[in-house]
Amino acid sequence: MKATNFKVISRLAGDVVVLYPQGYLNNLAGESLVSKCNSYLSQGIKKVVLNFSGTDFINSIGISLLLHIMEGLKEGGGVLCFTNLSKVHSDTFEMLGLTNHMLVFGDEEEAFRYFDSGSSS
Amino acid sequence: MPFNAIPSKDFVNREADIDYLKQLAASGKGAVAGNILLEAARGMGKTELLKQLYRILFWEDRGVVPFYYSFRRSALKANHFAKDYFNRFIRQYLAYVKRDPSLAENMSAPLARLVPVMYSLKLKWMIDLVDDFQEHLWNDDPQAQAVGAISAPLTAAARGGNTVLIMFDDFHMANQLYETSPGDVSGPISLFDDSINTSLCPHIMTGSPEGLLESIFTDKSFRGKAERMFIGPLPEDVAHSLFSSLCERLGIRDNRELSLKFMNFLGGNPLYIMNMVNSLRKMQKKEITERDLWECYSFEVSQGETFFYWSSVLGEFVGTAGGRRMAAEILIQYTRSDADMPEAGMLSRVLGVRESSLMPVLDAVSISGMMQPASSESKDYVLNDFIHSLHMREVEGVKRERARELIQSKYFPAGGAASCFEMIIPMIADAELVASKAVEQIGRNMNLSSEVTEQIQLAIIESCINAMEHSGSYDKRIFLKFSVQRERLEIIIESPGKFFKPGTDETLDIEKQLSSDNKRGWGFKLMRRIMDDVRIERLADRTRVILTKNIKPDEVLNESD
Repeated sequence: MKATNFKVISRLAGDVVVLYPQGYLNNLAGESLVSKCNSYLSQGIKKVVLNFSGTDFINSIGISLLLHIMEGLKEGGGVLCFTNLSKVHSDTFEMLGLTNHMLVFGDEEEAFRYFDSGSSS
Repeated sequence: MPFNAIPSKDFVNREADIDYLKQLAASGKGAVAGNILLEAARGMGKTELLKQLYRILFWEDRGVVPFYYSFRRSALKANHFAKDYFNRFIRQYLAYVKRDPSLAENMSAPLARLVPVMYSLKLKWMIDLVDDFQEHLWNDDPQAQAVGAISAPLTAAARGGNTVLIMFDDFHMANQLYETSPGDVSGPISLFDDSINTSLCPHIMTGSPEGLLESIFTDKSFRGKAERMFIGPLPEDVAHSLFSSLCERLGIRDNRELSLKFMNFLGGNPLYIMNMVNSLRKMQKKEITERDLWECYSFEVSQGETFFYWSSVLGEFVGTAGGRRMAAEILIQYTRSDADMPEAGMLSRVLGVRESSLMPVLDAVSISGMMQPASSESKDYVLNDFIHSLHMREVEGVKRERARELIQSKYFPAGGAASCFEMIIPMIADAELVASKAVEQIGRNMNLSSEVTEQIQLAIIESCINAMEHSGSYDKRIFLKFSVQRERLEIIIESPGKFFKPGTDETLDIEKQLSSDNKRGWGFKLMRRIMDDVRIERLADRTRVILTKNIKPDEVLNESD
């Protein structure tokens, strides 16, 4: 796995925002992801997809910041979907018992279908 | 001080010796000459035996007043010695009569303040004794002061009616008493003639090396005045039971087979055994493996209590830094020689120093009792390794941690046939990724599946960021060692600074964590789930985390994969 400098790319598709955390998700990176997410929340976007296809390692500080995002969305009545998790990411979440508390999909399309089905509302 | 003895339950296998000495104390007739010369190799427990006997006489057996005096380099000038000796005797006597150890332990208050205590205890003779000694001080006559001090226990025994048992620790040093500069008094030990020849006060004397003490007692004034008593090493089973019980008390699980073998190596020396257990505790060991034993041992002889013990013994005889370096050179030559030490002329050529500079150090080292030729039958391996460690540090300029590693590798080569890699990373942002990159390559070398490698990479990332967060040291570096075997990968992460140990609660209360403000604390949980073993130890000023991964066959890629 290649660890590259972190950046967050985002794409708005209707009322859903897709965020692409790119690189190594640690404390600084995690905070920029939290802030990006919050800025969409403040604009009224409550459906968020985190696409991890470009994410390298997620360290424990990164995990704790993902939990902050989950909590923030939950409190604001939003929904967070995780997609494109690599084996090591899903193993990590699994090991820590987090997967039961996350909405995980294979890819973005699955997440969108979930939103379209109305199950999220 | 005589009251700082170890708990009696830890002082094993010396019951018969204590009984014998108690007999001497009770009658003064149990021994051939009323005096005992206690002989043993260093660390065998001579001092401790005196302290244990002191405690028994002080608290249990009444009728004999114990007086313990340890000769020290700092109090060898006659007037200092006299004041120190007299003071300690008076205080210990009063402490015994009042059954109050604090009277003996508090040396700061002047003796004059204790006069009311003496008066209330009807010890008028003691007040006279203090007045007489004060007069010697006013007269500024060091010899009279020394004689006055040495005779105080005799006076006490004659006028107080109780036998006084005098215990002299490191009595060989009495031969170094001086008036104004070392060596200006001829035969200062003769100051003790009257004391040792009286039947009022039996004496127990220790000293090291035995040869030096023995030579004092074969001198004509002392000849036949003391019976020799030997304290040998602890038998293997007793040594092991001491080791095992100390470990058990500290929550360290013993491995009988391993530690039995190790007790043999330590030569049944109780000091070494206790220092080893202490070291295991300091390093936070919970279960004893062969590696643990050698690691603690190498720590002990290179920077632990055992190192400081031998170092201070050497310091008694060799005071200067230059002398110490030369002593290290002499000692190492001696440990390497199969036969006798080369004569001084040859040695000065070998070491490249003038014979006139060599001789005083050579003399000092030979009376220190630290010389043991390679051919010696009862070789002290611990002393031998201390000498090597001392030489590495004083002469070769090797850092103490490296010295420790070199000694450990002599007995326990890292990881057997393992390949070892070492790296140092700075405590700066993203440096953990460099360590993780090393793991990636190691995983490739080991042919591990990428999933397994990535998990191990994550574990090392966690360990490094944990070190960065908690170290608090000015030395902002993390030391990593990778030990690679076909079926095992071990990664050691060491960081200087504050010791950090996470809680042992491994339960994951996700709900609680999700709703709590503090969502941190996943690092060690993650490491423990990824690796087969995660150990946290304290090593000198470093926190050491050892991550071990046992590689299963299905985690390795086949050639065709």
